[in-house]
Parts: sequence; structure tokens; C-alpha cells
Amino acid sequence: MRPHVATAMGVAVALVATLGACSENTGESATVDTGRQQTGVIATDPKDSLGPAPAVAGARAGGTVTVIRETPISHLDPQRTYSFVGLMVSPLFARFLTTWKDDGEGNLVLVGDLAETPGTDVNDDCKVWEFTIKDGVKFEDGRPVTAKEIGYGIARSFDPDLTGGPTYLQEWLADTPQYDTAWDFRANRNALPPGLSTPDEKTLRFEFAKPRCDLPFAVSLPTTAPLPPDRDTGINLGHAPFSSGPYRVSRYQAGVEVVLERNEHWDAATDPVRHQYPDRFVWTFGSTPDAAVNRVIADNGTDQSALSWDYVPASLVSRVAGDAGLRSRTVLSPTPSANQLLINNQRVTDLRVRQALNYAIDRQGLVKVLGGQHVAAPMSTLMPSATIGHQPYDAYPAGPNGDLDKARELLGGQTPELVLGAADSSAEQRQATQLKGNLERAGFRITIRNIPADAKLDEIKRKDNPWDLYLGSWAADWPSGASILPVLYDGRSIKATGNSNQAYFDDPAINAEFDRILALPPAEQAAEWAELDERIMREHAPVVPLYVDVAYLVHGSKVGGVFVSSVFGYPSFVNAHVKP
Amino acid sequence: MSLSPVDGAAPAEIGASGSAGGAGPVVGRSPGQLTWMRLRRDRTAQVSGAMLVLFVLVALAAPLIELAYGIGPRDQFQGKLDGAGMPLGYAGGVSGEHFFGLEPGLGRDIFIRLVYGLRTSLFIAGTAAVLTAAIGVVLGALAGYLGGWLDAVVNWLTDLTLAMPFLVIALALTPTLTLRFYGQRDAVPPAFGVGVLIAIFAGFGWTSTARLVRGQVIALREREFVAAARASGAGLGHMLFRQLLPNIWAPILVSFSLAVPQFVTGEAALSFIGVGLTEDTPSFGRMIYQSLDYLQTDPAFVFFPGATIFALVFAFNLFGDALRDALDPKSSR
Repeated sequence: MRPHVATAMGVAVALVATLGACSENTGESATVDTGRQQTGVIATDPKDSLGPAPAVAGARAGGTVTVIRETPISHLDPQRTYSFVGLMVSPLFARFLTTWKDDGEGNLVLVGDLAETPGTDVNDDCKVWEFTIKDGVKFEDGRPVTAKEIGYGIARSFDPDLTGGPTYLQEWLADTPQYDTAWDFRANRNALPPGLSTPDEKTLRFEFAKPRCDLPFAVSLPTTAPLPPDRDTGINLGHAPFSSGPYRVSRYQAGVEVVLERNEHWDAATDPVRHQYPDRFVWTFGSTPDAAVNRVIADNGTDQSALSWDYVPASLVSRVAGDAGLRSRTVLSPTPSANQLLINNQRVTDLRVRQALNYAIDRQGLVKVLGGQHVAAPMSTLMPSATIGHQPYDAYPAGPNGDLDKARELLGGQTPELVLGAADSSAEQRQATQLKGNLERAGFRITIRNIPADAKLDEIKRKDNPWDLYLGSWAADWPSGASILPVLYDGRSIKATGNSNQAYFDDPAINAEFDRILALPPAEQAAEWAELDERIMREHAPVVPLYVDVAYLVHGSKVGGVFVSSVFGYPSFVNAHVKP
Repeated sequence: MSLSPVDGAAPAEIGASGSAGGAGPVVGRSPGQLTWMRLRRDRTAQVSGAMLVLFVLVALAAPLIELAYGIGPRDQFQGKLDGAGMPLGYAGGVSGEHFFGLEPGLGRDIFIRLVYGLRTSLFIAGTAAVLTAAIGVVLGALAGYLGGWLDAVVNWLTDLTLAMPFLVIALALTPTLTLRFYGQRDAVPPAFGVGVLIAIFAGFGWTSTARLVRGQVIALREREFVAAARASGAGLGHMLFRQLLPNIWAPILVSFSLAVPQFVTGEAALSFIGVGLTEDTPSFGRMIYQSLDYLQTDPAFVFFPGATIFALVFAFNLFGDALRDALDPKSSR
């Protein structure tokens, strides 16, 4: 009896294997356009900021868009929103001072959202900025949005209870990273923080101690969502945000589901980017990316108008990419999330070693480990190609698989012993194994030291961490060099813990360049950042640029208008609609 | 239930097999000889036993196989992968050069990694099973025979071990132990991971054997032959190892043969969540868990390690069954 069961099982397993194996893999599939150039401008013509947004071809009102995601959205409070999912969902129920007009292909225009224009630099020194608020913008209860409510929204972001959101505005206004001690929100609920004022109902005025030329970008983050003081429920706002956008939250079941329904007081004529096509958006949580993708591919029932928020997992990429029938239901786009092999510059002080690392790197091999070109695209610059003004260059031409001879020549017979700190998660272990094999072929001696995955980020943010190499990534808050290079490579910002400059790179000449460029008008900065990017790499090689994440999404056959945001690299819903 | 000398079945069996063997006079055989004879007559036992021997031989000869095969367990062949990191060609890259194809992503040879993984897994599982059996037998026999406060303490220890959350402790202990023995920049040798895994299995796995042995010993200790030995003044060691233990070998052997495959799969699960072995060390466990993700896209990657662990565990279980039948024919079927 039992041997028969065994035979049956063996035959079944063999059958599965042969079924999958009967086709030959010749290695042909679609490619991702990673060389695309990001163009970004700040709208100078006020007409660009006017609504309504141009209609999406073929879009019709009605239907329900379902978004399937593994982990719940922690909360929906705009002032506390900083996660990618929060940044992508909040435009549906909140409006900001400025916003990005995005075609999903890298063409970006920063336009006024609540404001009539993306800001006026009053004295042309980036220290005083004014925003004029549009007429006809309303909250979900029909009240008009004025400068007062926007100011209150920014003020409440100073509350130490409401942490988690971006801190640019707070730090710039208070002119110190400890902004919550500089101005106490809870003691001054009826006042505005220093430097922020509302000369009249229609004007919001920022005054900074230092030039803040990136302000128009910074106010595109959800910190500037308006809120009437009488609707502020403190930490409970995360479950029921007060809407100023085309949808309002009608149901919030923590960890299970979020339902957004139409907000009838939203006026399309005031909004330059958003639409209100679907009747509702439903977010469901809990499915693993594998399960979500398989559900969406199956395309049954309500899943026909569903989207898997998580990218197609590496193990399923070849199946989705190899199915020509799915091509119309996938979105493939490079994202601005840049990944590097960070070199601890405090430990690896020899420039030639850092340059040899750059020559030795086998980017193609690493991309294969990650799951191929639908998951990652090689990168040789500090700023990802999705940055405004980005110029491609390769300071250490390694070819697709690394120039091992050049690396050995630079090392001159040395065999530097380096310790690679790697999280003990399965994915990062595989990358570390790949890097170890790759670098040892070039003459390095690599020791992989495991770090518990949940502690890794805190550990490498410690200034005196004991490792020479570790993997790191950075996604900028807006696609300008100002939110990348000074944040990651300004040596003066290095502190004991919590560093963004995890390469611990510090060079006085480069630091001075940061100050010079940051004081330029934003439009002139772009080219300068690209130039500085190349200079840092050529002169110092502080990191090994590895790859940018590639967004690869699959949606049901009835979903239309979903594109990958050129700013954040995740699906944007402003054009989403359900096909009949 | 057990093979005690006073069991009526044993003489009957001796007579039967004796007459079947030929026309000669009745031949006396020891229980060991009987077991061996029954095993040799059992086809399932023969096949599964041969498979086990083959597995052990392959594991022991891993470096020789590497020499003959010409590919090491850490060699990468990414040139033979497509843009998505999937092996080119048929059935996950199976070819004359790579018997079982290549891993997606890293592009390592599956065959040679299976050979080395077999070695790691069998060593861990075998050692852990021997340790668990040893601890369990000693504690269980002592507790069962002596009773009293010792029995209470052993029972209490067993309950405590059973109540401890195995996974949580394994997860919490490993990084702490690693830091205790190795600096932040030291390489942690694979042997350390192997040691940790064995220690975890031994530390948590002895309870079932101990309970089993204790129960058996309690059942035996009031029997006449035990009382006779005690009356003739036998010491504790003699009582335990000469009188009691030989009569309970059957359940111990069976629980041992069932523990080995359990540890093989246990190592798989633990390695996957980061306890024990690193990615670098070829291991069955890691390979199988990684391959599961590729069930839809590269079934061959699932098939080869899956079929191997299936065969290994199946052979162990069948052999365990056959051994039980051979040791104790009364209770079969």
C-alpha cells in the first residue's frame, strides 16, 4: 500500500517537473527603458497650475479599483506620511501646496495644487516665499480651504506626538533639526510656527533664516495638506483624515481594509492633476506579493479591476515577462530608488582600493541575482537617472561584468581584506554571496558578517560601525540633486548615530561645493548637481553605485490609467479608471 | 511489546525459521540474528537500506565527486542564465556539464551543491539524532528505573523543555552566541553554524526519547528477570545497560530512524530563517526553501532538491518501519 503511494507521488513530482521543463529557455523577453532622461521643470506659466486635468483617453466614471498589498498602511494622517504607499495614496484624499504633473515617463512639471503657482521667491534670495491660494477649493464638508488651514496643517507637524512625516519644513522654519523644542505646537495651538504667516486668507508666507531654494519641491510633500483646527483629532486623524481631495475615507479597518469614496465637494476645475473616475478605491491588506500577483494574473471577478501594489516578485518575473498575453496588463518602469555598495570611508581610506572596487563590480551578475532586468537596472552614477538634470557617465568603466584586470592592476598585488556586513535576510544573503564571489575574483578577500535584518539599518547608521562594506539604498523625496548629494555626502552632517551619510565621506572641498550650489536658484542647480556627481565619483569614489530598482506591476484587465510615479517609483492613482 | 526473553513468541519463531531453513535440527538464534534474518527477507528494507548506504557514501565522497565532476559548490555560471537570471536551455539548464541544471540568480551548479548539501544535512541530522537518543536514553532509563526524586526532576525538565518556545529561543540565541564567540569583523566558520544547529536539536529533541524510554523501563522494572538480577545484587550500570536496555532497543531504534529525517527538514527550516548555516554553506534546507519560490517559473530547480530530500526522508522512514517490524514482528500490521 505505502510503496504505491510513494510511486504515485514520485510520478506526480516528475510530471510537474517535465511539464515545466518541456520548453527551451532561449533568453528573449521585453527590456526596460532605463536610459530614459528625466526632465523636470517648475511651471513658470500659472496656466499650468489650473484645472481641470486633461481627460484620460477612454476613461469612464464608475467602478471600483482594488489595490492588493501585503502590509497595511500604518496610518493616513498626511502630516505623518512618509512611506511610499502613504505618499501615493494621500493625493486621493488630500491636496498640497504644490504637486507634480507626471506623465509616468519621466516628464515632470511642478505645478501649484492648492496654490495658484508653485511659489513666488519674493526677494530672489530663496529666503521669503509666498503662495497664493486658489479660489473654489473645498473640504469634504463644503468649507473653503484658506491659507489658515494650510498653515495649521504645517503647524501640527511640529507636534512631537505626530512623528513619522518629512521634517524639511519644520527644520527650515525653526532653523534647527530640534524643531519641536524650538517651537511648541501644543502650547501654541492657535498660532503659527516662526517664519510662517498668513497675511490674508489667500496668502501663505514662508520666511527662512537661510536660503531654501528647494521649497517648491518640499511643499509637494503631504506636510502641506490643509486641516481645519476643529477637525484635528490628533493621533486619531490617521484613521479618518479630513479630505480635501477627490476621495474621502469612508471605511478604515486597521490592518484589513481602507475604502475611499468620492468626495462630492471636490471641484475638478481647481485641480491640475487629479481625476475622479472610479466610484471607490478599496485597499486590501494581507496577501503576499506572490499571492497578489497570481490573483491579479488569474483575472477573475473583482480582481479584473485590481492592482497588485507590490512589484512582481523576482521568482515570478520570468513567468509574467514570458507571457505575451500579460504585456498589456503590466507596467514596467525604472524608479528613483538607488542602491549602492557603501564603502565605509573611515576604514577604507585608500582611494585606489575604492576605485578598484568600482572597477571590479559585476553589475550584470548582481542584477541576475536580484531577478533580472525587470527588477533592477545597473547604475554607475551617484544620482539615479530619474533625477532632474542627471547626466550619464561611467567614471570607472567596468563593463557589464566588471574589469577584473584593471582592479587587480590598481591593487598592485595587494589583497585587501574587507568585511561585508549583510542583513541575514534571504535576499540580502544572496546578494552578499554574489558580491563576495565577484570581488574575490578581483583579488579582494571578503568576509561576510551577518547582521540581524531588523537591526541592520540602525547599525550601519552608527558612525563607528565595524564593517568596511554594506549595501545601502536611497530614494529621494523629490527628484533634485539637492535631496540626494548633500544629504548623503556632506561630511559635516556626520553624527554618532542615525546618519544618512553612511559612507562617512567627508571632504572640505566637496562640502563647500554643496553650500555654493544649494544657494543657486533651483532651475540652475540641476546641471551643477550632475557635474558635482561626476566629480565626487572621479576624485573620491566614496561608494560603488550598483542599480536602481525597477517597478514591475501587474493589474487586472479592466484597470486603466495606472502609471508608475516618476518621483517615487510606485503606482500613481490620479488617472486610474475602470474599463467597462 | 518488547523482546524480553520470556516472550512466548520468540521460541515459536525460532522453531519456525529453523524448519524453514532446512531439514537439520532446531537451530538456536540470538534476537540479533533473528532481526537480521527478517530484515534480509524484507524487500522494502533492502531497497531503503541500500538507498541509505548510497546517500551516506555520496555524502562521504563529496570531495571526490567534485574532483571527478570538475565543478565546485561555489562556482558560478551566470553566463548561462538569461536576463531575468533564469537558466537557459531545457529543464533549468540541465546539460552534460550540469547534470541537474543551475540555480536561478547565482547560477551555481545544483548537482554538486546537492552532493555537498547532503553531507551537511546528514552530518547535522545524524549527530543530532545520536545525541538526542543518548541524552534521552540515559535520562529516561535513570528516571524510569530509580523513580523517586530523580524521576520527578527529569519529568519536570522534560515539561520545561517542551514548554519552551523552540523557534523564539533559537532565533534569539544564535546572534547572541555568535557575538559571544566572534568579534564584529570575524568570519564565522560554517562549523559554528553546524554546531549551533546540532546543539539546538539536541537541546530540544531529547524529550520524546526520554519519555518513551522512561515508560518502557517502568513497564519492565517489576518483571521477574529484573527482580532476579536485582536480587543477585547487580549494580545500577548492569541493571540499566545489561538487563533493561537490550529489551527496549526496538522503540529507541525506531525513534532514532524517524528523528533523522525530522532533523533534515528541521535544518532546512532553521537555515532558512537565518539560524545556523549561512548562504555560503551548501545546505539542503536553504536550497529547498529558496527553490519553492520558483515552483511556477523554474520547476526543475524545485524538482531536483525536492526529489532528493523526498527520497532521503522516505528511505529513512521505510527503513525505520522495516526495522521496527523486524525487531518486533508481533505488533506488525
